[in-house]
Amino acid sequence: MSSVAEAQAVPRHSSWSRFRGWLGNPWGRPRFLAAFTWLYVVWSIVPVLIAVQFSFNATRSRTHWEGFSTRWYWGDPVDSVWHDPTLRSALAQSLKLAVADVVIATPIGVLLAIGLARWHGRGSGASNFLMLFPLVTPEIVMGVSLLLLFTEVFSFIGTGTTAQILGHVTFSISFVVVIVRARLFSIGRQYEEAAADLGASPTSALTRVLLPLLMPAIVASAAVVFAISIDDFVISQWLSKGGETDTVPVKIYSATRAAPLPSTNAIATIMMVMTLASITLGFLVWRFFTRGERRAGQAAVKDIRALEI
Amino acid sequence: MYRRWLWPGFALPGIVWLIVLFLVPFYTVLAVALGTVDPILFQAVPIWNPLEWNVGWLNEVIQRLGPGGNLTDVALRTLQYVAIALGLSLLIGYPVAYYIARLAGRTKALLLILVIAPLWINYLMRMLAWVNLLATDGYVNRFLTFTHVLSEPRDWLGGRPSTVILALVYGYLPFLILPLFASLDRIDQSHLEASRDLGASRFSTFLHVTLPLSKPGILGGAVLIALPMFGDYYTPNIVSEAPTTSMIGNQIDFYFHGGPQPTIGAAITVVLSAFLTLIMGYYLWTIHRATREARAS
Amino acid sequence: MTHHPKERNGGLNRRDFLLRSAMAASAVTGAGGLLAACSSSTTPEQEAATTVVGSTGEVEAELLGPGGLPLARPDKRVELPLWEDPIESGLEPETGGTFTVFNYPDYFYKKLLNEFGKEYGVKVQYTPFDNISSGIQRLASGAVEPDVMEMTPDNLDLAVAGQLIKPINLDYVPNLAKNVWPELVSPFYDVGSHYTVPYTCYATGIAWRNDHVSEDIAAMAQPWDIFWEAEAYAGKTALLSEERETIGMALLRKGHPDINTEDPALIDQAVADLKELYEICNVKIGDLQYQTIPEGRAYLNQAWSGDMIAAYIYYLPKGTPASVLSFWKAEKGQVPVQNDCFSICKTTKKPVLAHHFLNFMLDNGVSYENFVDFNGYQPPINEIDPPALIEEGIVPEHLANCVLTNDDFGPDSLQYMTLTQAGHALWQNGYSDFIAGGS
Repeated sequence: MSSVAEAQAVPRHSSWSRFRGWLGNPWGRPRFLAAFTWLYVVWSIVPVLIAVQFSFNATRSRTHWEGFSTRWYWGDPVDSVWHDPTLRSALAQSLKLAVADVVIATPIGVLLAIGLARWHGRGSGASNFLMLFPLVTPEIVMGVSLLLLFTEVFSFIGTGTTAQILGHVTFSISFVVVIVRARLFSIGRQYEEAAADLGASPTSALTRVLLPLLMPAIVASAAVVFAISIDDFVISQWLSKGGETDTVPVKIYSATRAAPLPSTNAIATIMMVMTLASITLGFLVWRFFTRGERRAGQAAVKDIRALEI
Repeated sequence: MYRRWLWPGFALPGIVWLIVLFLVPFYTVLAVALGTVDPILFQAVPIWNPLEWNVGWLNEVIQRLGPGGNLTDVALRTLQYVAIALGLSLLIGYPVAYYIARLAGRTKALLLILVIAPLWINYLMRMLAWVNLLATDGYVNRFLTFTHVLSEPRDWLGGRPSTVILALVYGYLPFLILPLFASLDRIDQSHLEASRDLGASRFSTFLHVTLPLSKPGILGGAVLIALPMFGDYYTPNIVSEAPTTSMIGNQIDFYFHGGPQPTIGAAITVVLSAFLTLIMGYYLWTIHRATREARAS
Repeated sequence: MTHHPKERNGGLNRRDFLLRSAMAASAVTGAGGLLAACSSSTTPEQEAATTVVGSTGEVEAELLGPGGLPLARPDKRVELPLWEDPIESGLEPETGGTFTVFNYPDYFYKKLLNEFGKEYGVKVQYTPFDNISSGIQRLASGAVEPDVMEMTPDNLDLAVAGQLIKPINLDYVPNLAKNVWPELVSPFYDVGSHYTVPYTCYATGIAWRNDHVSEDIAAMAQPWDIFWEAEAYAGKTALLSEERETIGMALLRKGHPDINTEDPALIDQAVADLKELYEICNVKIGDLQYQTIPEGRAYLNQAWSGDMIAAYIYYLPKGTPASVLSFWKAEKGQVPVQNDCFSICKTTKKPVLAHHFLNFMLDNGVSYENFVDFNGYQPPINEIDPPALIEEGIVPEHLANCVLTNDDFGPDSLQYMTLTQAGHALWQNGYSDFIAGGS
């Protein structure tokens, strides 16, 4: 494209001819697209920033800004996140589920990713398909099926925290696999084969060569699992047994429909900060561990490109 | 020799987990939909043996979803909302993904982060943000009346389909941009240069080279957001709450929260899943055919 | 007056009680339902061919609930059989260990529970259930082993048929006869109060913001018509998200007093009437009127009587005067009333103490404090009458009709009660049709 552009370049001297050139080909520099994209970014993010802003509102209004205050976080003795036992327990429950999810789903997912990537025999295609399915299943379908599972088949478990954890892990595994597998593809088999050539057994090639190389992906997927577990709404709601097993998104949902106080904004902001911190941490760890492998600035893009869904 | 079992062995825990906690529940839904209801406690009684399945409930639901049934309207409305939301999402998401993937230059990484960030912000928080903005005295109305676009505040949250569709677009669009971006980014620059060298205009290049090459991304992204959107029930509840904008997910939600007919809820879920599996099947078949052609060429 | 922190944010959970109570007016089957398990292609409506409701709404055969118990109605009193003998009188209450109360979330003041625990030397634990049907299921499956639990009249049959609750020895509960409204001391659904004591009560009516709604709803010939004339309030009008309450309201509007009817023609007509509301006011459905009306997000709502009291006490924003809230309910015989109860679970290991808890609950001071300082639902206690509440400033004078009295209950009152399984399916499907939003 650049050579063609040069071949067609018209010497532009006067501002008038430059303006005419611009008019003739407004897409010459992608101004429209650039503006459109930035407009989208603003439309996408600004409402959330405003919601965060109102969590610091001095009064209970969510539409009129009346001064800065931290009352909804810890100041107000009745309604603030710190003092309201239902909001606190929701926060605790969300964190409990997220940590359990990470601890259980990450190892299973990593093993599954390695297994699927290396397995070429019978059943691998079906297993791959099975792994992808949760990613496109509507959450209500998963919610219904898990609810029925825990009340009809495994009724000794019933609804509640255990069911919620099991449900979260089920949809998290696929995310781990997709991320780890992308990394596996970009590593390739070269290192393991080199290790094998040098006499390592398959298991030690795995633990001493592959796993360290996979570390960034493992940490990144742990961060992702934490984030999606904290943000999950449908599964947590369907498998909740009320009261203390409600998570923060469930509380936000019921508050949004009724009459949300800024404390709802506050707890949503807290969740958002935790999620973004988790993702940022995962991303930074990824970059740290892959620092020897890439040109600056392009690695993240390349790795995202490698995600094959 | 054990090497043959090594990799499948790795995959085993995950596979077993997904079978027990993903496939078995699906079969449970089927068994409940084709089962009966315990008369005393209204608990669904699943029938596991296909030979004994009670098709009464499923028949009733299919009738109600078919022409003349009382669920036809909500099913068609759901289809309509998803189609429009998907169309709008593609219309907005494709240019954005295109710009970031191919034209952004130095701001590429920054824009990518900004565009992916909403994925990590709680869906409900984003909806909460809009509920506050769309209130009668919220910023949207204040801005629009201030700029005289509106003569008086509009009731956005009064049960309008447009609000629901826009909320769906807002909520699901970030999930579309990522696969679109991934596929547009992968397109080799040399293809485009070749097209320009052969005399095609910019627009023609886009139409005949870029667009077709990004089709897998479009299809994948569309499937990724459309399928979950079919089951959405919380978005209409948050921004509307009126029966005239309800979606099929609301019906499933209703039948499962008390009452003597959880079987109907399960039956609607089965029909919905079957419909979505068809779409998923079409997608996979298209991909399979495309990869086969790509390998052959 | 003191506010309890849970009032502000636990709103939805408390309301779930109302949601489930009224909606749970279903239950079970008659012999017809059991047959369904044998055939290969049936639904309860097909089975209903054997149970009977004529086109005039008259029951031609006895409607039976679970275990063959007759279905109670306000004008059809039912005495439930005792499946075991109640405990003997004069025993000492058990102490030590844990005493579990099983109820909707945030429905009983923890402070009072702790007082009870201290007085009797037990640790009181409060276990919530999401809704009454799931609570009963959990009790039946053995997942929980509470001592006392919340019960609603429309689930009473199945709890007794399933032998999930124990008969009460009223010698331990003198407060029942002493403090509770006469109509509810031996109510129609539990003659002799063998299994239940009442807990709270409420009625269904209309709540509105009189500064936005100009009509004088109470003066209308048929106040329910306001919804069908609410074009000016489009988008700000809502009905309760309850299958019984919405369809029942449409029935009452057209002058059909039997809100427990199982006549398909009547139900279909009621649903068709409700569907007219889409065009008229794009009606919404929800249970959050106790917050949306004081906040001005809704102007006109079908509501429960306790809602405006709760709105006045807890949810009115600063700067909004209480005078903007209005409530109307019909005369006795035209207004649906409801009450819920407490029962002793069969899994209790402290039956004597459980009886003492029921007595404690019905104490004047305890129920007053529970009502005013915590859950905002009126208990049917003699001393807590409208004049007392107005005087104490709990209820403003213009909302006096939000407070029920003993006279609201009786044989000619209306109460949503248990239906046969087929009947309940009719109501449920009708409501599903309504919320589908089609033409």
